[in-house]
Amino acid sequence: MSAALLEYLEAQQGIVFKKLYRQPSTVLAVLRRMLPHLAKSIVMAMLYMPEPFLESDLYTWIRTDCTAERDEALGTLKQLHILQQVQEPAIPRAYHLAPTFSRSLRQALTGGGNHRSFGVPSSTKDPRRMTLTALDDWARKKWEAILHYMVVSTNTRMDDQAIHLSTGTKMLLDAGGFVQSQGQRTMITKAGFSFLLQEANTQIWTLLIVYLEMGSTLDMEPVEVLSFLFTLGSLELGQDYSTEFLTPTQEKMLEDLSDFGIIYCRPDDKTRFYPTRLATTLTSDAGALLSSQLSGTSSTGPAQAQKGYIILETNHRLYAYTNSQLQINIIALFTNLNSRFPNLISGKITKGSINRAIQLGITSDQIISYITTHAHPQMLKNTPPLPPTVVDQIRLWQLEENRMKVTNGFLLENYENHKEYLDDVNYAETLGLLLWKSDEKRKYFVADINLMKSYLERKANAKRPKA
Amino acid sequence: MEGIDATDRNIIISNATPPSILTIILDTNPIAWSALSPTLPLTKALSSLLVFINAHLAINHANQVCVIASHTDRSTWLYPTPKPTKGHRHSSTNKSNGVSKPTAEEDANKYRPFLAIEQQVLSNLRALIDDTDPDTLEEGESTQIAGALTIALTYINQQTLQASPSGPDSNYIRVAEQPPPSTSTTAGQSQTSSLVSRILVLSVSSDLSSQYISVMNAIFASQRLQIPIDVLKLAGDTVFLQQASDATGGIYLAPETEALKGGAGLLQYLMMGYLPDVTSRRWLVMPGDQEVDFRAACFCHRDVVDLGFVCSVCLSSTFLRSQGLTR
Repeated sequence: MSAALLEYLEAQQGIVFKKLYRQPSTVLAVLRRMLPHLAKSIVMAMLYMPEPFLESDLYTWIRTDCTAERDEALGTLKQLHILQQVQEPAIPRAYHLAPTFSRSLRQALTGGGNHRSFGVPSSTKDPRRMTLTALDDWARKKWEAILHYMVVSTNTRMDDQAIHLSTGTKMLLDAGGFVQSQGQRTMITKAGFSFLLQEANTQIWTLLIVYLEMGSTLDMEPVEVLSFLFTLGSLELGQDYSTEFLTPTQEKMLEDLSDFGIIYCRPDDKTRFYPTRLATTLTSDAGALLSSQLSGTSSTGPAQAQKGYIILETNHRLYAYTNSQLQINIIALFTNLNSRFPNLISGKITKGSINRAIQLGITSDQIISYITTHAHPQMLKNTPPLPPTVVDQIRLWQLEENRMKVTNGFLLENYENHKEYLDDVNYAETLGLLLWKSDEKRKYFVADINLMKSYLERKANAKRPKA
Repeated sequence: MEGIDATDRNIIISNATPPSILTIILDTNPIAWSALSPTLPLTKALSSLLVFINAHLAINHANQVCVIASHTDRSTWLYPTPKPTKGHRHSSTNKSNGVSKPTAEEDANKYRPFLAIEQQVLSNLRALIDDTDPDTLEEGESTQIAGALTIALTYINQQTLQASPSGPDSNYIRVAEQPPPSTSTTAGQSQTSSLVSRILVLSVSSDLSSQYISVMNAIFASQRLQIPIDVLKLAGDTVFLQQASDATGGIYLAPETEALKGGAGLLQYLMMGYLPDVTSRRWLVMPGDQEVDFRAACFCHRDVVDLGFVCSVCLSSTFLRSQGLTR
């Protein structure tokens, strides 16, 4: 699931959802992409249910030992305004799907209506039809340029010839906080590093959310932007689509999206556009990218991408079968590379290299997950895929960096009476506020003073009448 | 040093829900369907089934579906269409753009994969029915369920091999190393497999005892591969399919004919009972804990018997001769 997208949607008003859910392709994408697996089953079960679903029935249907999953599913459904409680009668409590949502989902499943949300194919034939490989190449070139721009900015010398990014994209990266301009030079930020090590699909969504937020300041209706993105996700690869029925906002988006490599527009033909693999996998989740049908979203070519290329040995040596400058640069972020061959680089993960990465703001988990997602097929035969010794060592090296843990709180001291001290400490302990205590010195440290204050005041008040 | 723990090494593996493959075996026995037509005509059932297929595909981008017809004399593919489609999926769908799809306008209102499946299933079913010679139907109410089950299993096996991340060869090891099947089928499988699968049989025919041995073999194979066989019995009485779903941990439902009237009831049965895949079945209380008819068929006459002899060497069963004599 795309966390960035979910976060963005959750912050929206109910009216936005109502507008969004009018479009079947959006509903389909939200169902696929945003919901926990159990929630999908619940939605589908309720879709053709004539009566509202009684809460008691729902609870009987879901196993009693799975309350955590149940609450997660119901919570997400409510947050996304999909599930609504029936108002009349309020007791017994029952749920139904939001009418707009269920109508659109039914339309998506059965067809019909006149919403054109699944893209209108071009009516005329393209004399120079794009092939799948050409589209993949285009998408890869564009997307790698963005990543490359960020990686290269870590180095002190800027290699400007290699990168052609439009000013719009550069502004976007800046707005998202992935890079930071300092005078002439552009520096990558911590957020930028975590962005780099993410999976392609997550990267795209992260960037698109930034685009969405930036767009709303530029008079672009967020609902239209989102709807168009979800439409893109349901298009077919290799088919050309007509731009005839797009709204002005969406036409403006075409240019920006082709800068990211998500769609392809021929400069001399504005009447049609091709979605690339980056677009058609927008609504699929991480698991789908690994599967055999969908390959080319990661940075290597479609043939290589479905296979990983990194081998990590128990002696901390790392081999990567790649000749892509981008991948070499990314691996160099956390590895000491020592030799390069035409199709292979080799290096070693050392304490120094990991610490360097951590200084840049990369976490050990990001490194580990990057290596795991790009692990060579031979590595995947092992369970766990990566050698545990190395994984643990990387984590330990990170922990060495932050040995101190900072907690804000309050120190209480100068107790005259040991009994009073014990009483207060016990109270703090039962509330779970106590972080540290020293019985000899009669000092203790609590996380929150307000509760303690009111307790101490109550105690003082209780004493006063006696005195 | 908190947070260092050997248990959380494989965080990434279990996070994503594995895609699931749904194999539907549609019993297309014309005699049985014509008997059922007052309550549930084939067209209504088919449209419910297509919505159900779309719902399955809607759940996950990588979900797959295949539909097999189990006819009176053979079993055949309804989707994917075997020869023209295999391997050239894109080119064939592109070709059909110009030919069979009415207008671009209508196309834009339906998700393309849904449209492709609907067209293929309908045209293949039509071809199958046109092919059927009415004279051959006299023989009885049988249907080639064993053949269909075998096709389904081979297809699932093929897809699982292709989907496994480490290539086909490692998968052989996985199957061989699997512990003998037990009742807790779900937990172990979803950990290792990158694709979960299940079979749904829509049954209308009643007489299957002639295929007893081959059906049972298919059941044991899917039990071993941990593929649940779900059965929705619309009509007829099928002893062995009930055993199939019981042995493989599938769902067996036999709704009242009244509840199915018009097709809307069927859709609700499908959406609520049969749509959750193996992954979500872990969280749900699945329907159908009724008594299972465990009777076997005798190997000599293929009759279902209550009481019989079992050979201690080959475990074949024969009917009790005295029973026949006393009657």
